[in-house]
Amino acid sequence: MKTRGIILWLAVGIPLLWGVLKTLQNAMKLL
Amino acid sequence: MASSFLDRASTVAPLGYNRFLVPPAALAVHLSIGQVYAFSTFNLPLTKLLGVTHSVPGDWDLKEIGWIFSIAIAFLGAAAALFGRWVEQVGPRKSMFAGALCFGGGFIVSAIGIHYHWLWLLYLGYGVLGGCGLGISYISPVSTLIKWFPDRPGMATGMAIMGFGGGALIAAPLSVILMNHFKTPTSNGVLETFVTMGVIYFMYMMIGVYSVRVPAENWKPEGWTPPVKPPPLVTQAQVAVDAAWRTPQFWLLWMVLCMNVTAGIGVLGQASPMIQEIFTGRVTPQMAAGFVGLLSLFNMLGRFFWASASDYMGRRNTYFVFFALGILLYSTVPSIGSAGSIPLFVAAFVIILSMYGGGFATIPAYLRDVFGTMHVGAIHGRLLTAWSAAGVLGPVLINYIRAYQIEHGVPKAQAYSVTMYIMCGLLLIGFICNFCMRPVNEKYHYRTTAGGTTAGRTTAAST
Repeated sequence: MKTRGIILWLAVGIPLLWGVLKTLQNAMKLL
Repeated sequence: MASSFLDRASTVAPLGYNRFLVPPAALAVHLSIGQVYAFSTFNLPLTKLLGVTHSVPGDWDLKEIGWIFSIAIAFLGAAAALFGRWVEQVGPRKSMFAGALCFGGGFIVSAIGIHYHWLWLLYLGYGVLGGCGLGISYISPVSTLIKWFPDRPGMATGMAIMGFGGGALIAAPLSVILMNHFKTPTSNGVLETFVTMGVIYFMYMMIGVYSVRVPAENWKPEGWTPPVKPPPLVTQAQVAVDAAWRTPQFWLLWMVLCMNVTAGIGVLGQASPMIQEIFTGRVTPQMAAGFVGLLSLFNMLGRFFWASASDYMGRRNTYFVFFALGILLYSTVPSIGSAGSIPLFVAAFVIILSMYGGGFATIPAYLRDVFGTMHVGAIHGRLLTAWSAAGVLGPVLINYIRAYQIEHGVPKAQAYSVTMYIMCGLLLIGFICNFCMRPVNEKYHYRTTAGGTTAGRTTAAST
């Protein structure tokens, strides 16, 4: 169950982190 | 009778199941449907389907394309309200699957519309079919999470609804990458992008369908006991969906959500031109795009932060903070604009947008406090019509009042001041509605007699 939990959280965490980083990259232009 | 994989009975978790495996299921669905907030990335490419690099006669214009998003949001609210009870009856897995079919199918139908250059098929595909998918998927995991986390309902629903905010952060760059990948001298790649996104989102939502579980009847987190004396406004009783919307509390919360969303949604849609016009010559379109990105980010973070905080502060107090702080910030924005301070302006709006997201994410737990868990998903679905109303009211207020001010000779930089004060007025109405919240009258409570029939105000079927 632990492995399943890690896989599930990575499956949602990685795309979300990618989206956040892309947004921050764009937001840097404001500074 | 054997139950199929999609039935509620197949989703009941075994004893000892780790409840932290359920939020990723909800997140997978909400991260997908949050794409709707990034639909505007397709607006310009859709105006160049025939001309490829530029619009030619026969190409659709922006006004026509703008309707796709509006129809999708309208059908989101309508489907959430109409299918709420069905979602409660069939359970999260079947409803998530239906939502995924509609949402993914909406992209594929729209792709056919792009191929034949039939705009009505995009309205029907992404707008109607996709919009129904949005509504069903949005409410599907909410009541399940509330049942898994009776000790932290705000945090649980905040996590899922954060995904809806985060979906746009993923979809915006993903759409651009896909369109660039599929671009050829004869096509701008929108058709192929729609097909790819339809397939990707359908498959990604299947992660949620496969991994979602409902707790067994009377399950409680280990070591947790419901408080003997619950805080004010937190009920131990249950109110059925058909009774709930006859209570004043439902309509007070409808107004609370509508006012909170109106105050944020107008800004979100107008953020880029607004910052460029208030700080004329100092903010470039690229900087404005960065501002929009920051707003989206704080919209997402606010969903988790405020909903989690509401578990400690109480739902009513959390909304008091939204309205009081919102009034304070909106009333100071015109002065900040006049003073020319971009950092203070950005800071004020990221806090406002965090509370916009927080309002969405805290409302399911507020409904659970007031009406109980029995039909919370269905009640939430009906309450989301406040979102549709705010979706019209917010942008209309910002756009029309700005246009009226400019027509009457007000400089562009100051044209938003009146709107900010009107937002303060709307937030004050929300504050008063929240102040009027009291526990639901007992006559609306759901009761079951010894013979199994229902008593009280409603005779709605139990699920």
